[in-house]
Amino acid sequence: MKETSKERVEQLVDVIMKKCLWQFHSRTWDREKQNENIILKTTQILCDEPVVKETPEEKCYWVDAVWLANAYKEKFPWVTEIDKEDLKQIMRELKERLDFLLITGSLNAELTDPLY
Amino acid sequence: MYCELTERERAGIINPIFTCQPAGAQYASIGIKECIGIVHGGQGCVMFVRLLFSQHFKESFELASSSLHEDGAVFGALNRVEEAVDVLLMRYPDVKVIPIISTCATEVIGDDIDGVVRKLNAGLLKEKYKDREVHLIPVHTPSFVGSMVTGYDVAVRDFVKYFAKKTEPSAKINLITGWANPGDVRALKHLLAEMQVEANVLFEIETFDSPLMPSGNHVSHGETTIQELSDTANAAATFALNRYEGGKAAEYLRDKFDVPAIIGPSPIGIRNTDTFLKKLSEATGKPIPQSLVRERGIALDAITDVTHMFLADKKVALYGNPDLVISLTQFCLDMEMKPVLLLLGDDNAAYKNDPRLKELEENLDYKLEIVMNADLWELENRIKNEGLEVDLIMGHSKGRFISIDYNIPMVRIGFPVYDRAGMYRHPVVGYEGAMLLAENIANTWFADMEHKHNREPVLNVW
Amino acid sequence: MPYHLFKCSECIPERGKHAVIKGPGETLADALPLGYLNTIPGSISERGCAYCGAKHVIGTPMKDVIHMSHGPVGCTYDTWQTKRYLSDNDNFQLKYTYATDMKEKHIIFGAEKMLKQNIIEAFEAFPAIKRMTIYQTCASALIGDDINAVANKVMKEMPDVDIFVCNSPGFGGPSQSGGHHKINIAWINQKVGTVEPETTSEYMINYVGEYNIQGDQEVMQDYFKRMGIQVLSTFTGNGSYDDLRAMHRAHLNVLECARSAEYICNELRVRYGIPRLDIDGFGFEPLSSSLKKVAMFFGIEERAQAIIDEETARWKPELEWYKARLAGKKVCLWPGGSKLWHWANCIHEEMGVDVVSVYTKFGHQGDMEKGISRCEEGALAIDDPNELEGMEAMEMLEPDIIFTGKRPGEVAKKVRVPYLNAHAYHNGPWKGFEGWVRFARDVYNGIYSPIHKLSLLDISKDEIPVDRGFETQRMLSDVHLSEEIKNSTELREYTGGYDLLKGLKERVYPEFPPKANVALPAV
Repeated sequence: MKETSKERVEQLVDVIMKKCLWQFHSRTWDREKQNENIILKTTQILCDEPVVKETPEEKCYWVDAVWLANAYKEKFPWVTEIDKEDLKQIMRELKERLDFLLITGSLNAELTDPLY
Repeated sequence: MYCELTERERAGIINPIFTCQPAGAQYASIGIKECIGIVHGGQGCVMFVRLLFSQHFKESFELASSSLHEDGAVFGALNRVEEAVDVLLMRYPDVKVIPIISTCATEVIGDDIDGVVRKLNAGLLKEKYKDREVHLIPVHTPSFVGSMVTGYDVAVRDFVKYFAKKTEPSAKINLITGWANPGDVRALKHLLAEMQVEANVLFEIETFDSPLMPSGNHVSHGETTIQELSDTANAAATFALNRYEGGKAAEYLRDKFDVPAIIGPSPIGIRNTDTFLKKLSEATGKPIPQSLVRERGIALDAITDVTHMFLADKKVALYGNPDLVISLTQFCLDMEMKPVLLLLGDDNAAYKNDPRLKELEENLDYKLEIVMNADLWELENRIKNEGLEVDLIMGHSKGRFISIDYNIPMVRIGFPVYDRAGMYRHPVVGYEGAMLLAENIANTWFADMEHKHNREPVLNVW
Repeated sequence: MPYHLFKCSECIPERGKHAVIKGPGETLADALPLGYLNTIPGSISERGCAYCGAKHVIGTPMKDVIHMSHGPVGCTYDTWQTKRYLSDNDNFQLKYTYATDMKEKHIIFGAEKMLKQNIIEAFEAFPAIKRMTIYQTCASALIGDDINAVANKVMKEMPDVDIFVCNSPGFGGPSQSGGHHKINIAWINQKVGTVEPETTSEYMINYVGEYNIQGDQEVMQDYFKRMGIQVLSTFTGNGSYDDLRAMHRAHLNVLECARSAEYICNELRVRYGIPRLDIDGFGFEPLSSSLKKVAMFFGIEERAQAIIDEETARWKPELEWYKARLAGKKVCLWPGGSKLWHWANCIHEEMGVDVVSVYTKFGHQGDMEKGISRCEEGALAIDDPNELEGMEAMEMLEPDIIFTGKRPGEVAKKVRVPYLNAHAYHNGPWKGFEGWVRFARDVYNGIYSPIHKLSLLDISKDEIPVDRGFETQRMLSDVHLSEEIKNSTELREYTGGYDLLKGLKERVYPEFPPKANVALPAV
């Protein structure tokens, strides 16, 4: 049975939530940056596109992205089977979903605290 | 003069012997039935003391905090005491006694805990808890005064002061045990039973050694009742076994209700137990029974086996609660040992005039140094840098690294002991305590002989 | 509604938003317990204070330092010898603690003069130690002593010493977490960048948020060394003061405990451009991923893979032996702050246990987000639990074992639930591959203890079995096990020794020639 794209997004979210830590830092600014960079690089890896990893920061995001891309490929065969454009769309939705769960829809009252 | 009374010269403390006053008040409060203390201060003042008790007793005790946070430290935090009392009463329907124990922080900001108790008595307790017996007792234990020992002393006095009511004279005595273990209370009650003397025991903490029951009781509590505390005013006499841990309460009962105060000795060792029984006999008119003569004989028989063969002339360093250290020193001397260094870990000015220390000063014919307001560095520095040689250390677990690092055998005694199993169960008082203590000292020494290959073959033949 | 209000807390309804039960299909956006709010007075919460968070939790694991508390003696005493953080300099920081012994006269007249005397005395007592941290306490904060000024004065007079001041009084914040943060920020503001490190490798990391409980740090450091990576500093377990002053020179911050140490990592990123990699040292899979990620960052992935292969081959059969016997056991995962999310998923996957509840004593909502995400549906998550709620939860959930602190562990014991020490471990270290097996063994021995089983018997009314003279853990654990697993020649019980660290101390590390052509991340 084929999953809906929503189900696929949830599968991808679940891996991040259960296995990763990079998305959970205590402030919005950090979460935005992490989500954006790591999902972008993961998408690029999954779509066999070049990934920029010149600076230490980019390299660090790339490391998490490589891990995530491998995990996705290993756990969900559809990741390698579907059309790249479709995958990109799912990854965009993944990013949106992450941003919602972790930032815009988050109940964590500390995210916008300007002080440490 | 061979015996020298000195004080720590350094300003600071390296490895403290005691914690601070609120811990002593908390220790006293867990001895009372249906009592949960509220410590007015930061949460650490409770959390760590509860941890300390659980390290020592391997049990959990209930103590609450007013949870002083930043706003309270700035604006005063009496509202948090009010809330704490209410929350505690709502959720713990059996609680009747709530000491409000102050700390350094709330004393410095000047929170009036006496005032808030009056307010609560007139307000919350009258309105919301009018059908419930509740006693709020302010206990002032700023951490920058004294130590856990004085905190205990102050709290016991404050409990007695609050509850003691003169009604009918009683044949009972008051037994204020001082900072004791469950095993000690059991041994003391045994002595009283043999003497056929009844007592209000402050505090009845034999239950601190609580069982793992099918019913799943989950916390340990002391069992001294409000009734017993009230009855202290009517007793035939007060025996405060430890001068610095309950002495104040005995004096209060003497001054206020003419209850004769017999302060000391801590019945540690044969001689101190003899003295205790003699005084008990005098105060109650009850003779010392043959059963105790026999028990004493068994202890003497056992102790004789180890004294002049093994313990004689062994040099000992002792630290811990003052009454414990002093009484142990006396017992060690009776066992032919040579205490060479005593550390008394706070700045109590009364030590200077302690008759027991005076007796040591007058009678010893070798060098014994007594350091007041001491820390554990006073011991370690002497060993490490000043050539002090000791054969044995006696004290609580916080000094264990001195024993380990300098390879000196150590008998764990006092509070806290967390690096040996079950020590709270073994009494150090009474004839039984004397015997067990002597045997513990001997066994510690024997293990060390073997460990160091130090004449260990002599243990082959007795 | 996923929020859960305990019966015992109905009279304090504000507790209603501090616990949730993770329902089917629910996400973090549906329910999250409140966190890091002021404690309800008198609730018998398990929280500590901000002083202990700074001094006891984060500060003291630093090993070559005189740790002095400016205040009455109690704060010092109470936070001394109550945690199992080791150090490879013979546990200096564990053995010695220092209190300025503030008394009434100092409260009235100030204590700066005696503080100075204290500092000098302590350095005199330990002439080999040249570093000190001074911790403010409630008392010294309230009387307004200027500890920084005194420290600066001493440093001028004694040029060979260095002093770090941490102003984190006990009342500063709802829990110990306030102190974690203060010391993080104080360290980066005062000390980072003041020493240049000695470099021994072309790959340098700061290992942040690791406190060397029973040797965890030494285990992890061993892996890094085997990969040729220099652990420039560890914040703070087994960490050296001067190494930590040189944190700014690392190529990568490897962050393990993202509550107590997140802020310093963030600041290192902002100020020095050092990226932050979040890792997990617990569990075979998370640890393997973590080692691989660190290695990948430096382009030496094969070195990580070699370690993972070797360690997995050595230890996996032992982990599996325990997993087969722990499957389906119910666990209450009730630690202080970070373990709830470090362990929630990997003990489920790798030991087969079901996490029926997580709680955090001092954590923030961020800790709960992670914890809830990582446990399964139906789990009860509690923020700032109190004594009665813990009891009620145990009655409700009937766990087979709980992982919590020493004192709550005594409560569990009394209601006949075995407990493991989640803060300080039973037979740790629990990090690393072998460590993880040690953890599994401790869980197994806790659950299948014959004495525990005897404690469930009421001899006054239960049928007393008289047919056997003893039982072993194995007799209890293997009752319902398939023959295949029971007789497996692949799986085996833990075969390591009592002290895992001894082996590490003897290890000789490979020398790696510098990798040409690999552009090192410039910092």
